[in-house]
Amino acid sequence: MAFGFCNVLPFSSFLDENENGLRWSCMASHRVGPVGETGLSDSGPSNPHVPYSVFHGSNVPTSFINQEGSAFDFRELEEAIVLQGVKIRNDEAKAPLFTGRPAATLEMFPSWPMRFQTTPRVGSSKSGGESTDSGSAVNTFSSKAEVQLESESPISNKASSSDHQAFDHQKHLQLQQQQIQQEMANDRSRAGPSQNQSDVKAPQEKRKGSGGSSSTSEKQLDAKTLRRLAQNREAARKSRLRKKAYVQQLESSRMKLTHIEQDLQRARAQGLFLGGCGGAGGNLSSGAAIFDMEYARWLEDDHRLMAELRTGLHAHLSDGDLRLIVEGYISHYDEIFRLKGVAAKSDVFHVITGLWMTPAERCFLWIGGFRPSDLIKMLIGQLEPLTEQQLVGIYRLQQSTQQAEEALSQGQEQLQQSLIETIAAAGPVIDGMQQMVVALGKLSNLEGFVRQADNLRQQTLHQLRHVLTIRQAARCFLVIGEYYGRLRALSSLWASRPRESLMSEDHNSCQTTATDHLQIVHQSAHNHFSTF
Amino acid sequence: MHYQAAEYSWGYYMPVRSIGPDPLERVVRLASESAVVIFSVSSCCMCHAVKRLFCGMGVNPTVYELDQDPRGKEIERALVRLLGNSPGSVPVVFIGGKLIGAMDRVMASHINGTLVPLLKEAGALWL
Repeated sequence: MAFGFCNVLPFSSFLDENENGLRWSCMASHRVGPVGETGLSDSGPSNPHVPYSVFHGSNVPTSFINQEGSAFDFRELEEAIVLQGVKIRNDEAKAPLFTGRPAATLEMFPSWPMRFQTTPRVGSSKSGGESTDSGSAVNTFSSKAEVQLESESPISNKASSSDHQAFDHQKHLQLQQQQIQQEMANDRSRAGPSQNQSDVKAPQEKRKGSGGSSSTSEKQLDAKTLRRLAQNREAARKSRLRKKAYVQQLESSRMKLTHIEQDLQRARAQGLFLGGCGGAGGNLSSGAAIFDMEYARWLEDDHRLMAELRTGLHAHLSDGDLRLIVEGYISHYDEIFRLKGVAAKSDVFHVITGLWMTPAERCFLWIGGFRPSDLIKMLIGQLEPLTEQQLVGIYRLQQSTQQAEEALSQGQEQLQQSLIETIAAAGPVIDGMQQMVVALGKLSNLEGFVRQADNLRQQTLHQLRHVLTIRQAARCFLVIGEYYGRLRALSSLWASRPRESLMSEDHNSCQTTATDHLQIVHQSAHNHFSTF
Repeated sequence: MHYQAAEYSWGYYMPVRSIGPDPLERVVRLASESAVVIFSVSSCCMCHAVKRLFCGMGVNPTVYELDQDPRGKEIERALVRLLGNSPGSVPVVFIGGKLIGAMDRVMASHINGTLVPLLKEAGALWL
């Protein structure tokens, strides 16, 4: 900010002091600028929108600041200015800034002390009571028309004409700012003192009413207390307004939430219906949304069924009873493959790119889902003890899944190659459209690959059930469920991991991070390790 | 792999008439002529996948590209009728003259371990 004024004292130094010790300086002067714009700005000293033209005088502030003997309450000043600004804004459509008023601002800091008056807080949007009370605490000028604070000290004249205010050098700046504000207010109607008097009428009256003692010190004390009171009221009012705004926000969010929940219920019901009809109707995005909801419900069922498996295993149920539970779990998986098939019909990209999965699961994505051979690899260590025959069966299963995966991957690769050629084939517009149509036709093959991949996954799970005994199968599915549960948990843990500062370079910080993660994992993932 | 024009059979060209107007008959006859028969379309990626599957297992299937056969359309229609409610017409696989089905059936039979014995039985695999 190019204010000569600011060279006098650094801005930050003012922030360091407490409120009472806050010395008026650039800060306050900054306030003057955007008063008409900001209106109810906050009381913090953080307004960067200071018009460049406001303070040209560089010599004046020094003398002014030196004159300041005691602590200045900036907040009050600021609020007074703000209120004045709001009043101005309410009074006029446009709040004129300091365009073309360099002369006035230059003259704002004369070398002589200036008189001041209470700020007119009437007519603003504030409550009447507020303005009545606080008006007396803020000083202002009576005259705006002539902000000629030069040799003739018109302020004093105005002060005398509007009120008999004792001069308090603490309020110099306040005075000046008020003056400028009033000047702004009266930009169009340079009615002179009368205008200003009407502006300051109420506070003047209040000032008078507050006991027009002629003694400076009395007024000073009085004014101080009154100022503080006004400040408190202002702060209270602001926080009331803030609270109101917040409550309104909460209310609207609540309404939105209930609406969304209702939509969700409706869509869920529709999803069931549409799922039964084979995914008929709906556009692509709705198919994806429906599937996401169905998948979320499937996950809930998964938790429930896994709990059943767990209790079934621990309770040492008979094979027959356990078989029922295992069959139920396999049907549960059949269901998700069916749902994926329906979803692939309406939105194949959603399914094949795994948008419905958590990021960690998506890491291992293969044609819209998990890779069956990866699953077998994971299970081989967990299923012991196995008989010789079972081991052979498992290894055969591993080999056949690998061969099938390889075949499907190569088929998909050929599809991609063919698509690349089709899309890249340049030609005139008509031919280009033709190529697009051809490409569309080729894209439709994606659904077939998703179906075949899901088919492979389904067959793998069925085959596992056949190779293993019923108890082994129960344990196997529990392991699978917990494995993917952990993968999903990994995604959320990763998303919420503490971001260590990138500044530290030593390895210890990495160790610390890992330890922190370990603690998080221990706290949240206890049940994931029960079966393993 | 071993591509073959549908009319070529037993080392000599049979007169078109004697093949018969019934495409289904043709299909059955062609299927019984080789251990592993795949009806395919050259541009179909799923057909490519099924071919890669058998080659990966060390099998040498006989492939009929229906888009290169003048009467391929009829055969396609016949295959669709044969398969029932299959999404596409090709690929269709016969092993030892017996219909295995489309890709999903082939994959399922491979996973549940029935494909390899069939191949061995048909003489397509030795091990």
